Amino acid sequence: MRLSKLPADVPEISDAIVSFDPETLARRAVVKQTLVREFLSLGDRRAARIVEAIPERDGVLDADAVDRILITSHCEMQRISEEFQHGQRVLELLHPLLITLREASVFKRPLRIVDIGCGTGYVIRWLAANAALGKDVELIGADYNVALVEEARRLANVEGLSCSFRVANAFQLAEPASVYLSTGILHHFRGDALTQFFRQHEEPATSAYLHFDFQPTRVAPFGSWLFHTVRMRQPLAKHDGVLSAVRAHSGQTLLRAAQAGAPGFLSTIYGARFWHLPLPRVFHTLIGIRKRYSDSFRQILGSRAARLGAFQNDSHPALSAGDD
Amino acid sequence: MIPILLYLLATIDAACCGYRDAAARSALIRKDAYYRRALFRGAIFGQGAIAAAGLLILAFIMFSSDPALLIHDLNEAGRRMLLVYLPYAIIVVVALSLRLIPSVDLRSITSMLIFGPFILIRPFIAVAGVAWAMIAVPRLEIILLGLLVLLLMLSLEPFLGWIRVSRAGSPQP
Repeated sequence: MRLSKLPADVPEISDAIVSFDPETLARRAVVKQTLVREFLSLGDRRAARIVEAIPERDGVLDADAVDRILITSHCEMQRISEEFQHGQRVLELLHPLLITLREASVFKRPLRIVDIGCGTGYVIRWLAANAALGKDVELIGADYNVALVEEARRLANVEGLSCSFRVANAFQLAEPASVYLSTGILHHFRGDALTQFFRQHEEPATSAYLHFDFQPTRVAPFGSWLFHTVRMRQPLAKHDGVLSAVRAHSGQTLLRAAQAGAPGFLSTIYGARFWHLPLPRVFHTLIGIRKRYSDSFRQILGSRAARLGAFQNDSHPALSAGDD
Repeated sequence: MIPILLYLLATIDAACCGYRDAAARSALIRKDAYYRRALFRGAIFGQGAIAAAGLLILAFIMFSSDPALLIHDLNEAGRRMLLVYLPYAIIVVVALSLRLIPSVDLRSITSMLIFGPFILIRPFIAVAGVAWAMIAVPRLEIILLGLLVLLLMLSLEPFLGWIRVSRAGSPQP
């Protein structure tokens, strides 16, 4: 079955070849043939072939081999972020958000920005390298995968970047985030898990979140196929890249889940379309912000505020996706 | 003029091969120098490919019974190739120029609408240019030269990748 025809609940290979205990974060064994059979039963023969090719030890996927594949795939997928200027895209929203929070005198320092599921930490490292966010800003990336976090640390170290990476659940850090970020994470959560994801944002110390993900459109699977076919080398990166576009949540789905899970935030979609054209952006952004900051944020955002949809919460349930 | 333009296009194409080969292999953030080296490396390897084609042309001319006619035919074949390659190159250069404008949206659009599709069709464009030249001037020398040029154009990027991967002890930057 073609990837674009697969149902959205088919897992990505990168999700399936690793498993972690959610409490201890200890890595669990993944039995290769069980996973192959699962992909075959879901009609994803390509994924089954890719998993079949991963080395095993006593029937279990070799963790070192899996980590090498994941690190290489993350490196390849970083190219999407680079070509689509993702760092700049994050900064475009983060900068006014930080100004907003700084202007609120009640706000405690440091302003802690936590990237959820940071992988090899592209966004955090880009911000550390380019953004000059200020000395009162702490940049932290969190991921369950030790190998990815170690690679993020190594890369940050090579470039002498001021940021840190933790093998941790981003919502269970000793010091909670002021702002949560994520890129390409939301579509990994399906159904109730998505609502539960937002529920974890409801820490009093957390003022806002910015979640970037692919925008599902009719052309997205083809566009994603085109992008990954000509630019990726790893079969896993090609497979998951296309499937991500298939699995991406609509703005409405994200808003509903955000409102249900984190009603303490006003939420909206930012930048669904290019200018006033019917040309969808590759990424859209789910923004959540405490009500007391929303007016100030909109004001500081300036002309870019036109890209915001209406801020919504349970008391304002009308759903609309933002564009220019 | 035709040989000069073809030489310039071949060098630019080779430099782009170097860039594409280097892309997605380094996860560092500050990579300007890395990409500059990659462009240079591609262009340098491209000179080798151009030299190979040049030597074949030279050999054909030296052993031709009518060198003037062969040079005329080579020029005509080159002109036909330019008619295919130049518009492609101009669009790519315009898209690259647009990326100089510091707009996230413009840069994203060029990635989506130009670079992706154009990388995908590059092999077909390469074949089309050579095929059209062969059709215009169907003589053995042009066919052999066209096949060599095509082979060099399509194999340069995989060759650069092969060298990079086969270099023992070359860690990911």
